Amino acid sequence: MKKLSFFDANASVGRIGHPHLLDIPDAAGLEKEMARAGIEEALVYHLMSVHGDAPLGNSMLLKEIEGHANLIPAWIVLPHHTGEMPKPKELLALMKDKGVRAARMYPTRAMHNFSLEEWCAGDLLDALEEKRVPLMLDTEIVSWEDVHRVLTNHPELPVIMTNCTYRFNRYLYPMFEKFENLHVEMSRFMGQCCIEDVVARFGARTLVFGTNLPQYTGTAAVGRLTYADIEWKDKEAIASGNLKAILKESWR
Amino acid sequence: MNEFYEAIQEGRPIEGLDIIDMHAHLGPYYNMHVPDPWAARMIRVMDRCGIAKTVFSPSFGFDADFVAGNDLMLKTIEEYPGRLYGAATVNGNYPELSVSELHRAFENPRVVMIKIHPVSSKCKLSDRRMKGIYEFASERKLFTLVHTWLEGDPWGSMDLMASMAREYPDIRWLMGHCGGPYGSYHSVELAQELPNIFLDVTLSMAPAGQLEFFVREVGSERVLFGTDNPFLDPRPQVGRVGLAGISREDKMNIFRNNALRLAKFV
Repeated sequence: MKKLSFFDANASVGRIGHPHLLDIPDAAGLEKEMARAGIEEALVYHLMSVHGDAPLGNSMLLKEIEGHANLIPAWIVLPHHTGEMPKPKELLALMKDKGVRAARMYPTRAMHNFSLEEWCAGDLLDALEEKRVPLMLDTEIVSWEDVHRVLTNHPELPVIMTNCTYRFNRYLYPMFEKFENLHVEMSRFMGQCCIEDVVARFGARTLVFGTNLPQYTGTAAVGRLTYADIEWKDKEAIASGNLKAILKESWR
Repeated sequence: MNEFYEAIQEGRPIEGLDIIDMHAHLGPYYNMHVPDPWAARMIRVMDRCGIAKTVFSPSFGFDADFVAGNDLMLKTIEEYPGRLYGAATVNGNYPELSVSELHRAFENPRVVMIKIHPVSSKCKLSDRRMKGIYEFASERKLFTLVHTWLEGDPWGSMDLMASMAREYPDIRWLMGHCGGPYGSYHSVELAQELPNIFLDVTLSMAPAGQLEFFVREVGSERVLFGTDNPFLDPRPQVGRVGLAGISREDKMNIFRNNALRLAKFV
């Protein structure tokens, strides 16, 4: 059987107060759902980091995925000013030491309640950019104006947009025209032929495979990509190659 | 490994399986860019993943002109016989026109369903102006697809749909999207109470384990395949049903057997 190798950019462990359906708090449960869909690896964050406390969740993540070599840690990060997290250079050193390969931010008042503007998050964005550590931003959380400003001010920072729905092409296309460091994780990028259209216009480098497991099923994203009307090499790039290339560039 | 897993991983249609999509649309929509929203592309995408037949209602019929939507639907089903089937769109704000549209549409035997989009029309499912529509559907025991999203929806919540299902037991109520990503438990609860409620799998934020839950709690005989094509791409839904942790028979029921049993495709 000819099969793509899938590397999920957007999976989580931990319990959430408002689950979509299943309670799958641990790494073993996540791996079971990954196996059902045929997904081999995942970049994983902890739900406690998003909906409880970021430092606590980050430490719980490392404990939960210990011994699971196919689960790669991503941390939720905050600016350092309140002392909840170390200063950016120290934070980055800690992340490298712990094998953390990506950062996620949840600014805006309803979530982690800080600004993505330079006066607040600029030092942290600088540090991530210097080490080329990918930053993952949730489209439901940040505005496209924020994303545009981050990409403009930090042209070497790889930015991966999660939760990017099929309705956003009118924002995305002008950004893809301008920024090579912008990528979209495809778990909600489910508009008819959107993958084909984006690959034809901007190339396969723009997209990375993702599922939002175990809140969403991974089987939908797998079916979307395997049946895509694009070349096999482009499917391979989206399934795992692009994310691996982004991670390879980090910590240099 | 099984036939579904191998076909989906290789990106080829599942052999011998002619899928029937009961929830689709056609044409552009004001709120988003659809790269190619027309029928020829829909057919190409259907072929790519093994969908044989699709029942659709044009997207601009919900927030704009439902008569223009039905015009496009009737024209398009003539162009693609055996592949595309119609859902006649109605709008309770136009009660007489809606009933006359139903008479016009159902003269064509390739129109197999009614479509109601309460959030777009801002006409409650329980609005008295809907009565003629329900009587038409009831007399003919028609499938009626209702868009449902989140339980707090004042126009077309799952609970409102259930109250109509109690009042009109001869209508086959297809619960579009089953209330969205947080609607799984309540949709199952209502389907367990009311045998004339059917569950639609169409969803872009599909919870892990949802299909397994539906089949376990309601039975695969009342779960129908749908995609939202071309609003959404249909291929994720093929992956979702094909790779679900349910039996082959359950998958066949969802993919096609239920639609063939409950609607007539000429």
